[in-house]
Amino acid sequence: MSPQLFLSIIEVGCFFSLLALSFLLVLDGAAVFNFAIGPYAMAAGLATSWLVTRLGYPVLAAALAGLAIAVVLAAVTDVAVIRPIEARLGGAELPALVAVAATLFLIEQAAGTIFGRGDFPGQPLLGFEPIALGSAAMSAPQVTLLVATVAVFALVAWWLRASRTGRMLRAVGDNKHAAQLLGLPVSRIRGIAFILSGLIAGLAGLLFAHKSGVSFTSGLQWTLWGFLALVIGGTGSVWAPLIGGMLLAAVQILSPYYFGSAAADYAILLVALLFFALRPSGLITRKVRT
Amino acid sequence: MAHESTALLSAADLNKSYGGVRAVREVSLDVGPGEVVGLIGPNGAGKTTLVDLLSGTQSADSGRITLRGRVISGAPSRRARAGLARTFQYPQLAPDLTVWENILLGRLHRRMGSAWGIMRTAVRSLLRPVHRDDADEVDRICAALHISEPQRLWSDLTLGEQRLIEVARALAQEPDVLLLDEPFAGSDAEGEAGIRRAVATVSGRGHGVVLVDHNVDIVASLVERVVLMDQGAVAFEGPPDECLRSPEMRQVYFGTATAQAQQQDAADSARPEASATDRVQEEGDR
Amino acid sequence: MRKLLNRYDLSPVLTLAAGLALLAWVGDNPFNQDLFALAATYSLLALGMYIPFVLAGSLSMAYTAYLAFGGYAVALVATRTDWPMVAGYFIGAAASAVLAVVLGFATRRLSSFFLVAVTLLFAIAFEGWLTSTPEFSGGAAGIGGVPRMELFGVEMTRELFIPVLLVLVWGIGVLVDRLRKGVFGMVLRASRDVPVAVEASGVAVPTLRLVALGTGAAVASLGGSVFVTFNQAINPETFILHVVFLALFMPLLGGQSTAWGAILGALIVVQFTFNLGSVGDSGTLLFTIAVLVVLLIAPRGILGYLGILWRRLVPLESEKERTHGA
Repeated sequence: MSPQLFLSIIEVGCFFSLLALSFLLVLDGAAVFNFAIGPYAMAAGLATSWLVTRLGYPVLAAALAGLAIAVVLAAVTDVAVIRPIEARLGGAELPALVAVAATLFLIEQAAGTIFGRGDFPGQPLLGFEPIALGSAAMSAPQVTLLVATVAVFALVAWWLRASRTGRMLRAVGDNKHAAQLLGLPVSRIRGIAFILSGLIAGLAGLLFAHKSGVSFTSGLQWTLWGFLALVIGGTGSVWAPLIGGMLLAAVQILSPYYFGSAAADYAILLVALLFFALRPSGLITRKVRT
Repeated sequence: MAHESTALLSAADLNKSYGGVRAVREVSLDVGPGEVVGLIGPNGAGKTTLVDLLSGTQSADSGRITLRGRVISGAPSRRARAGLARTFQYPQLAPDLTVWENILLGRLHRRMGSAWGIMRTAVRSLLRPVHRDDADEVDRICAALHISEPQRLWSDLTLGEQRLIEVARALAQEPDVLLLDEPFAGSDAEGEAGIRRAVATVSGRGHGVVLVDHNVDIVASLVERVVLMDQGAVAFEGPPDECLRSPEMRQVYFGTATAQAQQQDAADSARPEASATDRVQEEGDR
Repeated sequence: MRKLLNRYDLSPVLTLAAGLALLAWVGDNPFNQDLFALAATYSLLALGMYIPFVLAGSLSMAYTAYLAFGGYAVALVATRTDWPMVAGYFIGAAASAVLAVVLGFATRRLSSFFLVAVTLLFAIAFEGWLTSTPEFSGGAAGIGGVPRMELFGVEMTRELFIPVLLVLVWGIGVLVDRLRKGVFGMVLRASRDVPVAVEASGVAVPTLRLVALGTGAAVASLGGSVFVTFNQAINPETFILHVVFLALFMPLLGGQSTAWGAILGALIVVQFTFNLGSVGDSGTLLFTIAVLVVLLIAPRGILGYLGILWRRLVPLESEKERTHGA
């Protein structure tokens, strides 16, 4: 395996990991798989590119605007869609799933209508010379994505462990009713989970856009990748999404390399089927707590 | 073991733990033909868990269950087809169906017991309405249990009526053994009378009934034998009057209440569907 | 009169009348014929979605693949074999049913999010596979020049095929609605709301769901088959992935309480996404917003509220009103 291929895995793996982490936060805080996470990432990436290429914004300002859009979308999803559905129908799973799917599609269509239905190139956030690593070289966007991923994971791990809100997060998702009885600020914690998840997804989207470009339909695929990375890694630890993301990226990058161009989709489908059928709890599972 | 040849339902050495809490430990239970067995004990003693293990709603960690001498295992639907029917502590009625249709559900395992049967029923239901025998049987059960206005929807029913409908659905299964989980909670006099009739019908046919309740008085008036559970294990087994006078009974219900409440609390919080507060509340009332 | 209205289910008569009116509107206008054929395709898709999703609460998103199965089966049978084209309808339906059961089986013990994920991944992979197998499926160009179908010795021109479509869609609508009201539909609805009770009554819920998923996939694949029969061509882009979201929304918008709601939803989708020239690209967006509004504040859908209105006008005699939505 060439070093360049290895760097590709790291790069794609960082993206998958961030998406999976975004999933995990909402899953812990609200017990929902938020399938609209891919579209948050898409919206951030697309908005950034659109602001830079069409309106001539400076990259950093555009990126901040993109992140803000992702965060707002996440907060609105929680407050305007998922909460009302849960309030009306209790904890039933299917209505929440349908509402999330509708949100996914709505963001996609809205982005297509506002930003146009073409492909946009990603915008490099920071410009510096590629860093040589032996025979391979890491480009500026690759380095940015890697550093951002490490930083995000470290910060989230620290937040979950050290802050009061972070420690309460999992208790809320596990049993909302019990958490309410214990007097935890369920609504606030849940809101924070959604906002953080939007922020992380947005960051992932705008940092990854340079790799494959971004269009209004990218979100669905990104959602599925993030979900799969989460399922592979498991929900047992904040680091599990990182492992799941890297493994999924290895499958995604290596299968076309060995089995031809269309193999990535088949390989990912196969991995999904295997994991869902045999090991749906992921590689890292939480210890049973009493 | 001597029972096994004669018992309808025989459970041996059942165990179930959640995390570190042993919700059911080494429980054995026999139900003979025509017998009504009462399962009593304070909240959190493991009664509902035991019913779940018997019916397959949860799977036991270890142990063996036989019905008419045959080992039963696997999904609840398999055990239901083998002859086990149950009701739920929190009634599970389809909100979209009428009372009559909810009772009809109990009849369908004989036609929809396999993938093939399900497909045949699907095709058949395009052409013809409900099978005549099934409809007649549901009408008979409604009449026998004094269920009026069977075209009502679930949302129109009181908790007591819901329990009666569940019992009717279980009765429609024509089970060998009927497991009733707290059928009297929330019942009015009419519902209670209906449930008593159902119990009499099943035992009159030579089938068995397991009656779970924490209301010892109601149970004592209906059964020949009670099993007293405490902290997941069987504490006493025998005729109801003996049980009521037994030291175990006093120990379980009035004994070292604080230590016990803590343990139950732990057991409840580990159990997925139990609402811990309700139980602690009721425990306090006692 | 009131007795008559309550005794008999009038929906087949009313819908057939509506269908005939639609037929009169189509006339010999080619654009309207195209719209009608698309509406028929979407209606079958929505009816196929209705059975597992609305009745059984199982959401599969591989419906674009089922459409493609139905379409490619017809195209391949017509261009590569001597068999009658109708064989393609059956092959497509059977293949779709098998696929739906396999994907459902792999996720039978998991939450519905997993079925959604695996079916979407399948749909994506299948679209890619179609593009990368030119020798079998014609690759990105697809299969064109599909001959016209012969039915009872008559060549089905576009004009002749339109009434056939109407009868087919209406007939399947009647069947699916009967399925809903019959014992099978009753058990499906019960398994959606109280699976433990259905399980405890001796009917295996996972098996029930698989049967529903398979049936729905087979019905939807007919949509792909009629589309190819009418348009005489298919390619990987004919049924793009976002159609499955539209299919999910159709029964919600039209109303879940009857199968006709799915068809009404399909008609609305066609109107919004293809016929409203002025709104153009934003038609899909408007439609999606409408669906979200329905989800949030008007869960019964259009027919659900019409049904309530109808009961106001023609109340049942003895029983309490049965206004409960699906």
